[in-house]
Order: sequence, then structure tokens, then C-alpha cells
Amino acid sequence: MTRSNTISRRSLLKSGAAATTVAMVPFWAGAAQASCSTLRAGITGYNVINTLDPGQMTLIPEAYMVWGIFNCLLKFDEDMNIVPDLAESYESVSPTVLRFKLREGVKFHDGEEMTSEDVKFTIERLQDEAFGSPHRSKFSAITEIRTPDDYTVEIETEEPFAPMLSYLTNTRTGSQIVPKHILENGSNEDFASNPIGTGPFKLVSHEPGAALELAAHDAYFEEGLPKVQTVEVPLIAEESAGVTALLGGSIDVTSTAPFADVPQLEEDDRVQVLKQAGTSTRFVSLNNSVAPFDDVHFRRALSYAFDRQAMVNVVLFGEGRAANGIIPSSISWAATQEPPELVTLNQEKALAELEKSKYGAGTEATVLTWGSSWWKRFAEVFVLQVNQVLGVNFKVEVSDSGTVYQRMQTGDVQASIWGWLGLVDPDEYAYEVYHTDGARNFENYSNPEVDKLLEAARRETDLEARGALYREAEALAIEDCPVLPCFESNVHNLLAPDVEGFVQLPYSAFGAQLSAVGNC
Amino acid sequence: MPSSLKYFLTRLSGSLITMLVGTIVVFLVMKAAPGDPALIVLGDYATDETVAEFNRKHGLDAPLMSQYLDWLGGLIQFDFGQSLSVSSGENIGDLLLYRLPNTIFVGVYAILIAVTLSLVLGTLAALNRGTSVDTSATSLAVLGVSMPDFWFGYMLILGLSIGLGWFPSYGFTPASESLAGAFYSGFLPALAIAAPMAAVFTRTLRTALIENLDREHVMVAKAMGHSGRFRFLHHVFRNSLIPYITVVGLQIRYLLGGVVIIERIFGINGVGSLMVEAAFARDFFVVQACAVVFLGIVLAVNYVVDLICAMLDPRRVR
Repeated sequence: MTRSNTISRRSLLKSGAAATTVAMVPFWAGAAQASCSTLRAGITGYNVINTLDPGQMTLIPEAYMVWGIFNCLLKFDEDMNIVPDLAESYESVSPTVLRFKLREGVKFHDGEEMTSEDVKFTIERLQDEAFGSPHRSKFSAITEIRTPDDYTVEIETEEPFAPMLSYLTNTRTGSQIVPKHILENGSNEDFASNPIGTGPFKLVSHEPGAALELAAHDAYFEEGLPKVQTVEVPLIAEESAGVTALLGGSIDVTSTAPFADVPQLEEDDRVQVLKQAGTSTRFVSLNNSVAPFDDVHFRRALSYAFDRQAMVNVVLFGEGRAANGIIPSSISWAATQEPPELVTLNQEKALAELEKSKYGAGTEATVLTWGSSWWKRFAEVFVLQVNQVLGVNFKVEVSDSGTVYQRMQTGDVQASIWGWLGLVDPDEYAYEVYHTDGARNFENYSNPEVDKLLEAARRETDLEARGALYREAEALAIEDCPVLPCFESNVHNLLAPDVEGFVQLPYSAFGAQLSAVGNC
Repeated sequence: MPSSLKYFLTRLSGSLITMLVGTIVVFLVMKAAPGDPALIVLGDYATDETVAEFNRKHGLDAPLMSQYLDWLGGLIQFDFGQSLSVSSGENIGDLLLYRLPNTIFVGVYAILIAVTLSLVLGTLAALNRGTSVDTSATSLAVLGVSMPDFWFGYMLILGLSIGLGWFPSYGFTPASESLAGAFYSGFLPALAIAAPMAAVFTRTLRTALIENLDREHVMVAKAMGHSGRFRFLHHVFRNSLIPYITVVGLQIRYLLGGVVIIERIFGINGVGSLMVEAAFARDFFVVQACAVVFLGIVLAVNYVVDLICAMLDPRRVR
């Protein structure tokens, strides 16, 4: 947590450089553009980082940093295809056994070599109940990990389990490879603040709530990476302060952008705006076991009764797209391609379904939401539209996210505004939300046919066939309207005009992408 | 006991009682707030067992009264406990120790700016009553009071950082690293906080000076042949300082409110931004610690203001 004195030394260097150029240029705004030994990559919109231990991370900014400090066996490329990372190659030996061939000569930040023992240790640590990892359930399907030699790992699951490959990528899944030689005898608490990984960057300092500093890992296994020597990561809680920091030349990259500012920033030649539809889903969650949402006709009437594009325009200022289902469009091999009729505004059909329903106009219900800004607006836009189209009498109740989540888990809710962000496997959306036993199924939804398809998808290792199963399952689920899919929001990065080499991924892989930045 | 000592002791015990009541209020308000730090830390992955374990680990399952007494007992020994969800496991005392100097620096810097501005503008306005100088100074003051500090902060960034490039648009160099850097990078935030305060100070000083300029003893001094300069410094200005300093002391509360917002906008790693973040994350212990620190500062400043006023006007003590 101690802030090293490099900052003042740097300021001095820059003030020296600035003095020789133009007198009126402030010393730390101007000079940094010239060379790129230091990249200033601001995490915007968040400033809480409680742990940098991948096995314990839950928050988005924690993941941003973990992605740059560690590697997984696999990773996603720009088109969201799974490609090798610490593994050189992989194959399925049998439907239940995956075999990974590891790269040789990969070094942890402390110089020790990474071997199959570290992989085995990492996954067993995640499975260990005493460690209490929030990611434990993802790896409970694994029954055995074998290490025939230093560079071979075999992972066996009880049944064929297709999502496992996604869970072994460098995303929010916690499977980043940690060093056995340190954690075997060391404490997990120490590791959380002094993480040692194989990634392109090592942690130099972390000042809670304020900034982190990373330095290049010179022995990094990818040739020529990272391109910068130092990365400073200020934690900027206010997104709008991130924009002014970038415009004023105090930082080079942001991790997000305020939606409302994006159209204007796109016109501004002082900034590069990167954006695309992110891996996220936002929906209205309906408690299918309480009135009035226990009636499928009433749920269908609601789904017909609001315009999703209007939501995108009002809630996201256009920075997103109307959803076709809950599997995000960026997972293109599994997402529903065309908007199903039931997720499209149609006043006549809405009223026809209401006619068939045991509840009529004037039905009252409360829609729970949270926060003060767009989540609240999201609920209001939904309620306003359905009240107008169906003549029902819905109300918005505002709480905070923790409370909403708790009430959803305990079923103490009629309807709520909810969503998931950054999950990378369709199973994490479709199975977990639509399956009777799904961990995120707070709707008490159950359809045996949907369950069967989702279970088959879990076992199917052929990507195309698996994607088809998810589409089929989702098409059936949408007929039942357990949730009302609404929209997916864009991910954004703002870059200073000179920054080159930053590639944006749909799950916003911030830390991992900084190693390729060559100019700033 | 001499009456002056008794006066100071009474005021001191009053402050301590206020402090104690303050801790109770802060504690209860945080307990009544909706939200659960366990759910924030554990995020999407919270289960009943992990939440219960979290609460047990941090003593949040104990009865309310014993939680309060534990906390108070720690406070007396300057032990604020550990952060729950803002910087999990970090000692709050360390967090504060690191951040408090930044907040105090910007706060004192803002007061210096506000006092300097108001002494110049207030005096000019009072001595040139009814002229265009007075009108300009008073108009500036109205403008200052009317501008919200967060808005003014962004305007300063837009104009002086992004537009003219004179100041950094984000970030603050702590004084411990570079004093010059702290004055430079702290100028805009200090000015944003100082503007509304300077306006209030100016108006207070102007009113007090004008009132005293018309007093009889000033006319007597004039009749005795004292110079204008002497009359102003000894008879007018000194008497006007009491309401002025009282107002400066009272404004500390607003200063702290401003600091909370301005620290976030300018990225100053201070107690104000820590408190906001902790409130969002339902980190009870950190919010309570920050509130107690702020309360302590307000009470200490008020106490010092009382002392100064008593020195300026010894009649108050009797």
C-alpha cells in the first residue's frame, strides 16, 4: 500500500522536460505524450479493490487487474473464440477428459517456472471448501486432475461438461494460475495484496481507493510484450472525472465512459472512442410463483407491451441494443439471432394475451430496482410503458443492489430489474437462469423440456451443435416469459489520440489488453 | 478557579459530550441504513453460509449494544477496527492516517484562499461603500454563493485545465511528496471549495466593518486626531474580527461537505472520498470512523474559534 517515491521522481523528470519546451504547459500534462515508458490507464467508475487473489475476486475492477497480472490455461481472442494461453494446445481425450499441453519455460514474477503442479494446485484450491472461493461451484464438476509430467495436465469431470473450457479462460472465473510454491506455505491474506502470477505485469504498489502501479514482467512468455515498462492505474470513482482527466491529458486510457457523453465524445478529435455490445444482459425478473406473475398469459402480455429500443434510447442514451434473449449477442454462436415475436412491442397481441389472463387491467404490482441513476430509469421506463399499454397499475420501488439481490434469492419480491455482466459462457446465462436448478433462477421457473435441452448443451462439446441447443432452449423459454429480456449495454474505452494497440473485447478485458499498447 | 479557566473547561467538556452523542448517532444511522456489506464483498456469489461467516468474522452478529461498546472502546484507544468492504482487512487507522493529511491540506488551502480573497474584497467594499468597487465586490460574492462547488469544480477543469492547460485535470500530489506539487495540483480543488466560502466571508466582513465604521468611538477617535489608518486597524478592524472569525469557524462544516464532493471530482485521495466510497459499499466501520474524524475536526475548530474570540474580547469569558 505504500506509495513509492517514483511519482515524485517522475514529476521531476517531466517538469524538467516541460521546462525545455513551452513555458505555459503544465509539467505533468504535456511531456508524457512524447515517449511511452509509462502508460496511465484509469479504472473509471469504480475504486474499490479488496483483493487481487483470482480465487477470491468478485468485483469488476479486481478482475481488470487480475487479468493483467495472471494468465489462465486459455483465453478469448477478439472474436470470442477460445485460444490457448498458458496451454500450448488442448484436446479432449474422451468426453470427460481434457488434456492440456503447457508452454515450457513460463516464469512467475518471482522467477520460478510454472508447471503442471501449479495448475493442479490452482484448481484444487478453488475446490477447497476451507478456501471459500466464490467460484467454487464452477469447478465442482471436476473429479480428478492428473499431472503425468511437468507440462501435461489432464482434467477429468464426472460427466461431459462443455462450459469447462470457458471456465478455464482469463475472465471472471477465478481460474488464473497461481504459484504453488508460494501459497503452499504462505498465507492467502498476503497473497491477496502481493499477487504473484505469470502475467505481463507485476504489481508494484497498491494504494487502496486511489491507485495501483504495475511494472513490466521482463520474463513474460509472449515475445515483445508488454510494450510499456510501467502502468499507472488511478482509481477514478466518478466516470465524468475520468473523461475530464483524459481530455486534460492526465490519463491515456479509461475502462468505461459515461453513456450520455459518448455521442459527443465520438465527435471530439481529442479522444478515441472504442465501443461494442458487451457480454451483458438486462432483464425484468418476474417471480413466476406469485401473483400476478404466476400466469403465463399475463407475463406474455407484459412482454408484448413495451418497446425495448425506446429503453435503449432513454436508459442507455442509445449505447446498447435491444435484446433477443438473455444470451448476449456477442456470444454469437449461441445467441438468438432474430428478435422473437414475443420480445417485440405489439399492442394488439399484448391486449389479446391480457384478455386470456386471469388478471386484467388495474392489476397492481411492485417492480423493485436499485441505485439512483439508470437502474431506476430502467424500471420507470418499463412501468410507464406497461401501465400505458395494458392499463395495469405497476409501481417502482427503489432499494440498494445488495438488498434487491437478497430479496430475489429469498423470493421476497414480485418483479425486479436485474442483469448479469461479463459472464462468458452461454451456460452461465441460459442454464443458470432458465434451468429448474439454475443458480441464478430466482424466478422459480421450471420447464422440463427446457431443462433437458440445457443439460444436453452442457454435455455437447461440438460448438455449433451446442449453440443450436441453447437457441432451441431459449426459444422455448421465451414462450413462457420467465424473465423479460430487455437490452445489452455497450462496453466503452476512451483512449488519448496517440494511444495505439489497445484491442477491446466484449467482456472489457481491461488489464489483459494493456500489454499490447505500444504508443501513448 | 479563575473564570477564564472555568470557561475553557466548560467548553471542553461540552465538546466531549457532543462527541459522545455524535458517536451514538453515527453508529445508529449506519445500522439503520439498508444494505449489507457482506453482500457487497461476496457479490454475485453470496450464499447464506458465506454471509453468516462474514458477519461472524467481523462481529456483526453480536447484539447492537455490545457492538457499539466494542467500537467505542476501540475509538478511545484510537483503534478504528478493520475495513469491511472498501479495502477489506485493511486497518482503518492506517487508511485515515494516510488520507487525512491530503484532506487537511486541501481544506486549509481553501480557507487560506477564501480568507485572503475576503479580506481584500470585504475591506475594499466597506471602505468604498456605495461605489462601483462595492457593487463589484458584492456581486462577486453573490455569484460565489450561488455556484454549487461541484459545478464550479468542473467549470474550472474545463476552463483552466482542458481549455488553457494550466493545471492538471485530475490527480493530486501529496504534500509529503512535493510541497510545490501539492500547492499546484491542489489549487483548482481548493479554489472550488473556497469560492462559496469566500463569498460568505466577504459579506460578513463588509457588514461588520460598515457597522463599526459608524460607531461613536470611531468618531471620537477621529475627533482626537487619529489617522484613518490607525482608526481602521485599531477601532474598526479588530472589532469586526469577532463576527468574521465566528463565521469562518462555522463554515468549516460546509467546507467538509465540499471536500467530500471535490475530492471525488479531482481524484484527491482524502477522507471525504473514502467516506463516500465506504457509504456506497456499506462499510460501516469506515463511514463511522470518517464521521467521527469529521466531527472531531468541527468540534476542535469551534473550540479554537471560541478561544480566539475570547482573546479578542475578554469580556466573553466573564
